[in-house]
Amino acid sequence: MHDLPTGSAVLALARDVLLNELTPLLPEDRRQDALLVAKCMAIAEREAETGGEPAQVVLCELAMLYEEESCCLLHRFAHDLRIGAFEGSELREGAARALMWRLTIAKLRQSNPSFLAANGLR
Amino acid sequence: MAGTASLQSEPRRAALARFLATASAARTVEITALSPLGGGALQENWGLDARFAGGALNGDQRLVLRTDAATGIAASLTRLQEFAVLQAAFAAGVTVPEPLFASEDHAVWGKSFFIMRRVNGTAAPDRLTGDLTLDPVFPALAERLGSELARIHMIRPPRPNLAFLAPYGEVGPTRLIAGFRAYLDRHPAARPVLEWGIRWLETHILPSAEPVLCHHDFRTGNYMLDGATLTAILDWEFAGWGDPHEDIGWFCCKGWRFARLDREAGGIAERAPFYQAYESESGRSIDPRRVRFCEVLASVRWAIIALQQSDRHMFGGERNLDLALTGRRATECELEILMLLDPAGIPADA
Repeated sequence: MHDLPTGSAVLALARDVLLNELTPLLPEDRRQDALLVAKCMAIAEREAETGGEPAQVVLCELAMLYEEESCCLLHRFAHDLRIGAFEGSELREGAARALMWRLTIAKLRQSNPSFLAANGLR
Repeated sequence: MAGTASLQSEPRRAALARFLATASAARTVEITALSPLGGGALQENWGLDARFAGGALNGDQRLVLRTDAATGIAASLTRLQEFAVLQAAFAAGVTVPEPLFASEDHAVWGKSFFIMRRVNGTAAPDRLTGDLTLDPVFPALAERLGSELARIHMIRPPRPNLAFLAPYGEVGPTRLIAGFRAYLDRHPAARPVLEWGIRWLETHILPSAEPVLCHHDFRTGNYMLDGATLTAILDWEFAGWGDPHEDIGWFCCKGWRFARLDREAGGIAERAPFYQAYESESGRSIDPRRVRFCEVLASVRWAIIALQQSDRHMFGGERNLDLALTGRRATECELEILMLLDPAGIPADA
């Protein structure tokens, strides 16, 4: 149970104040730092909103791919891609590619959705 | 910037003035302004205004002192090596700030440095690629950059003054791939897409090309424009022998298009004017297969560099927001790797 406004709401408000009220008051050579701070706040806001759900979805798909559950599946997946372990099976290779797409898009939705949009993705 | 005050202290300025006087054979040198310049994540650049009495630089001069940042990444040249590369480029007619003096005497500045002329202009890539007033001149700029790159690539081994550069056989794709994997083995987070991209590189290596001097960071953001005029190609710290397509792929890769992802030549133009000027100046044809390979290589390499930059903040003791955020750009590179190698593969439910 949290008080209102929510953490996300005050973070969004703080970002708006930083960008539109404080940044113009800063000397020119520090404005870039203020923009970076605003960027960090936006990432934190998006990550707080989605929580661990995107990671959980990817982990579930990895568990289906490997037919087992383990905390180390992402490392195992990376290793298997390194050695071409999926290349002998069209089905498994397709599943691996789909997983990479989903993982990458989920990460960019949090860290840089405008880059996704500029590439025609959401 | 750590240590700025001590570097601007009177004894430090006096030592620098003495060095400049000796190097230029001036009677005296008075430093009239000295302050850190922006840009350069791996190196420190200082704007240096000085009044020379006599000698090779007699009169008022606007210079840059370039030295190492507090922490760096292993792949970059030393400042003295970078100075030698800059001398070679200047002699080959590449548009670079004239390199003047170098020193490894730590009594002067506390670390090795070199001095070059300061040129006017800005390199800010987001602003440049988003500047609609420059649209009419961008194709000509792309041509000019193609010609400049061709001139860089006319520098070929063996070159006694560049003997410190590793032979191409020691720095080609096979070695790069081994280096990428060694880095990822040390990195705490798994990077499946990078591993997949590296695997593709490993299984698609092309026969060795005749090596040339590659800038290895030739891109928008590393050249300066004064209005619409190119004034300098900057940041030679990654230069080395390589396949010329490495620089072409790096210049065109999506990571360096900034505000204009649709303009494949550095965010400023179509590829055609850049390619045509390069081919005309160099007398060599660009091989699209090699460019594609090098663009995948570029995306992997930029991703690894981005992670290494972030490491400087997370593990290297360098408290820096820009470095901290740069690591997140690795995922942008991973998206590009997927788009290059799996163009029809975006799952409907992604």
